[in-house]
Amino acid sequence: MEQSFSLTSDVRNNCLVISTVGYVNNIGGEAIAKEFNRHFETGIKQVIINLGQSKVVNSIGMSFLIEIIEHLAEADGKLVFTNLDPAVDKMLAIMGLFKFAGKEPTVESALKYFSQKK
Amino acid sequence: MTVTNTRSVHTKSDANLSHKIEALLGGFRKLSRAATLKELAQQFDGIIRSNTTSSKVDLFYRAHRTAPWQRIVDSGDQNVERLLKIPRAKASWSSAFEKTKQFVLVQKLGDKSYIGMVLGRAKSGPGYSHDDAISARLFGNLFETAYQELLSLRHEKELVFSLNHRVLQLTSLIDTGIEISKIEQGALPHHLALERAASLTNASKGAVRVIEGENLLEEHFFPYRVPVGSRPRKGQVIRAHFSFAGRTYRFELHEKESRSGIQPFEETDQLLLDALARQVHASLENRFLHQQALEKQRIERDIAVAAAIQKRLLPTALPIIKGYDIAGVNIPSKWVGGDYYDCRPLPDGRFALIIADVAGKGVPAALLVSSLHAYLSAYLESQIPLDELARRLNKVIYHASPDDKFITAFIALLSPESGEVEFVNAGHNPAYLLRANNEILELPAKGLPLGMLDMDIPCDKDTITIGVGERLLLYTDGITEAANVDDVFYDIHSPLRDFVARHRPQSSSQFVSDLIKDISHFAGAAPQNDDITALYLHRTS
Repeated sequence: MEQSFSLTSDVRNNCLVISTVGYVNNIGGEAIAKEFNRHFETGIKQVIINLGQSKVVNSIGMSFLIEIIEHLAEADGKLVFTNLDPAVDKMLAIMGLFKFAGKEPTVESALKYFSQKK
Repeated sequence: MTVTNTRSVHTKSDANLSHKIEALLGGFRKLSRAATLKELAQQFDGIIRSNTTSSKVDLFYRAHRTAPWQRIVDSGDQNVERLLKIPRAKASWSSAFEKTKQFVLVQKLGDKSYIGMVLGRAKSGPGYSHDDAISARLFGNLFETAYQELLSLRHEKELVFSLNHRVLQLTSLIDTGIEISKIEQGALPHHLALERAASLTNASKGAVRVIEGENLLEEHFFPYRVPVGSRPRKGQVIRAHFSFAGRTYRFELHEKESRSGIQPFEETDQLLLDALARQVHASLENRFLHQQALEKQRIERDIAVAAAIQKRLLPTALPIIKGYDIAGVNIPSKWVGGDYYDCRPLPDGRFALIIADVAGKGVPAALLVSSLHAYLSAYLESQIPLDELARRLNKVIYHASPDDKFITAFIALLSPESGEVEFVNAGHNPAYLLRANNEILELPAKGLPLGMLDMDIPCDKDTITIGVGERLLLYTDGITEAANVDDVFYDIHSPLRDFVARHRPQSSSQFVSDLIKDISHFAGAAPQNDDITALYLHRTS
């Protein structure tokens, strides 16, 4: 059952990991963007968003995710989504998010991806 | 000399113009790369600084004529926005300069917003000139063109996003339909539909309620446990509902989100919600039909088992009774019925002839036949008087069956040598005894069916004697009530009593066979609705 939105974040190996719970809508998207901006201003350019506990995303929430992708692209950074529910995975694919962002099955595999990139 | 001087002036002027054109083109290339208004302003700030003698640059943006100015490039000078004057209604720009102090330009943009520029004191030279004013105007036009480019880019992105979103809505509608149809028994398709509808319409929350009559059976919110308001504003809620199996499913979505706040739902949002509600409706109907089909299969299997068990209770062959010819028949209907017949020798040399019919059909009737068979066997073995046997049977059947189940039965004990028949008729059809003089003697019921009431004496016993050449027919109502396609009963069209009187073939089996043929001929294409059972006894010597 989809809960009200909440998120947690931590920085591992200079990589921001944001894990969300609940509906990624206007409120959820805004919260993710705010958390991203807070770290982006400190120079973080590698970001993982774990949507494992978010089974529903709407297009307003997605517009915030697109903005994060654009900011990172301008700064030569990258966003990787993880733990995607099949329905959310398909939504992000149709909206074209994977043209500029990556996806990995887990946060650990995303961290590994970034460490190999360095 | 004059010519030379003129050339010299021209060359200097050309170089100046060429430099300005280069600066303009270079500036445009830079501005065109901006992805946001802020970036555009920052690039513009750089261009102005490198192409004017200004010491300070402040840039402002105004979304529309009456909106407040927003500072987007800040030199640190306070209150300079007071210098900005909105151009007259039909003018696209306004400018003002005060030699050596400030230069001000306000440029109207394509979307009716404004960019305001305040250049601070000139760094050197005589200050701002008319040439500077013209240059600034050119740069203002440049900004306007780049801003238009930015708007086009933004519009293009919004268009692509919107198209992708439409594709997403259609794809998701199809996928959700498939998911709902595949959803496992016990899962709730209306919950999934609510989630998808909220997501696809950008609703911030929603609810689905299941109502039966006045009772609210279920109330589910999305997001989980986030209740929707009871008095939403106009345009901020859409609803859909359907009824199925006495229950009404009501969907509602609240507050369509946008980046600029809550906005009214669109017509397509209502169409989407309606479509998803229809998918849930179809899914529930399909589930119901599937369950019915499974239940039917299960019942048919049970009936087949019950029919097989019941068949084993009926005699495969009847005993040979010296001086008598006896034959019986049982043709079960499609469904398991409750007919029973038997003929069995008793330890004292008599023979028991039984025919019985349980009220109703199906497995319960078959179970009661099975009970009757068991009790009857036990009581006949113990050779208790016939009326006592009937009393006991009544008692046990009454306690072993539900209120609407009982058994009509004709039980007779034949003493073969004397031809004496002791019998009880518990609510059963009258037996017919065809006398030697061709008269028919009816042996009607003299008591209630077995198991109908908890009485000590359900029926009286009687005695008759069958003489040589006389014939006795016991039967169930499957014969008399066999109907043709016009719903006319066999007994009304061609009374069984007359058939018994007319038909006196050599063998009992021939009589039974002829009777069945006659019934079959009468019924024609009409289906057989009840068991057909008969027991025919002919005293031959």
